[in-house]
Amino acid sequence: MILIILLSLVLGLAIGFLLPINLPPIYTPYLSVAILAALDSVFGGIRASLEHKFNNAIFISGFFGNAIIAAGLAYIGDVLGVPIYLAAIFTFGSRLFTNFAYIRRYMLSNFSKKQ
Amino acid sequence: MKKNVYISIAFVCIVLGIMLSIEFKTIKNGGTVALQRAEDLTNKLKEVQSERDVLKKQLADLENKINTYEESASKTSAITKSLKDDLIKYKELAGLIDVQGPGVIVTINDSQKAVQPGGNANPFLVHDEDLLKVVNELRSAGAEAISLNDERLISTSEIRCVGPTVNVNSSRFAAPYVIRAIGSPETLEAALKLKGGVVDTLSNWGIEVNIKKSNNILVKKFNGVISFKYAKPIYEGENK
Repeated sequence: MILIILLSLVLGLAIGFLLPINLPPIYTPYLSVAILAALDSVFGGIRASLEHKFNNAIFISGFFGNAIIAAGLAYIGDVLGVPIYLAAIFTFGSRLFTNFAYIRRYMLSNFSKKQ
Repeated sequence: MKKNVYISIAFVCIVLGIMLSIEFKTIKNGGTVALQRAEDLTNKLKEVQSERDVLKKQLADLENKINTYEESASKTSAITKSLKDDLIKYKELAGLIDVQGPGVIVTINDSQKAVQPGGNANPFLVHDEDLLKVVNELRSAGAEAISLNDERLISTSEIRCVGPTVNVNSSRFAAPYVIRAIGSPETLEAALKLKGGVVDTLSNWGIEVNIKKSNNILVKKFNGVISFKYAKPIYEGENK
């Protein structure tokens, strides 16, 4: 499981670096918010799979939906002059930590059980 | 079911990796390029400035040399003496020599009046048009040599707004503007202070115009290079 995640992440990084895709610098804030949302989805997916509640459709739709909504909100916030992207950062950031804490606990308890 | 999960996780991680790398690439490119460019430009500016200073010094040295040559040459015979006098006369006409004499010093500064909230600040600032009007008035009153912030106004001089500053002889100046004009001090002052004239109009907006008469005003020479690329002289008796 972890191997698959790492391998595909490295593959994705390699593709991104090798392909001549360039984003205009103006759009980097939106992409960074989208990345945060996507990271949150990945952690959520890992947690769900540890809980044996993993649902493929929810995972994929959450990944893309969250990323797109986060970037869209950031854009709308920029247009209106309201820092809405903060909402995305708080939500996804705090959820990321919660999910990570859960994963950590699960793995630690698993580890101690094995011993 | 299990296989599906792995495929979707792998797919999502690949997409995430691509997003991360693109973001990283863009930020790296944008950040360093901008910084490097600023550094490059400051370095270049410093270089060019020191070069300019050296060249200025060289120019002064060479001019001194020319002056000594002219001086010594004018002593050799009556012809060279009259040539030298002619040279000085034409230099005076062209604005290529420092001149001195009675005249006025006009200092023009932006208005200190508070602009009404929501009002237009433009009329309270000194514009190229105002300076042109003042210079024009001085010329029509018989000023013989005029300089604006020590830039001699010659036949090719411009006075033009460049953003918040004014370009004169391709040098940029901001307020306050100091205009030195040599001529009859009384006439010049009276011309500027005519009822309904330039100063009257400007002071309506609170623009500060300060006219000082003096018996000894130094108007510096034009420092640039005059070269005609398109205009060719026509000699007398020649048909076009």
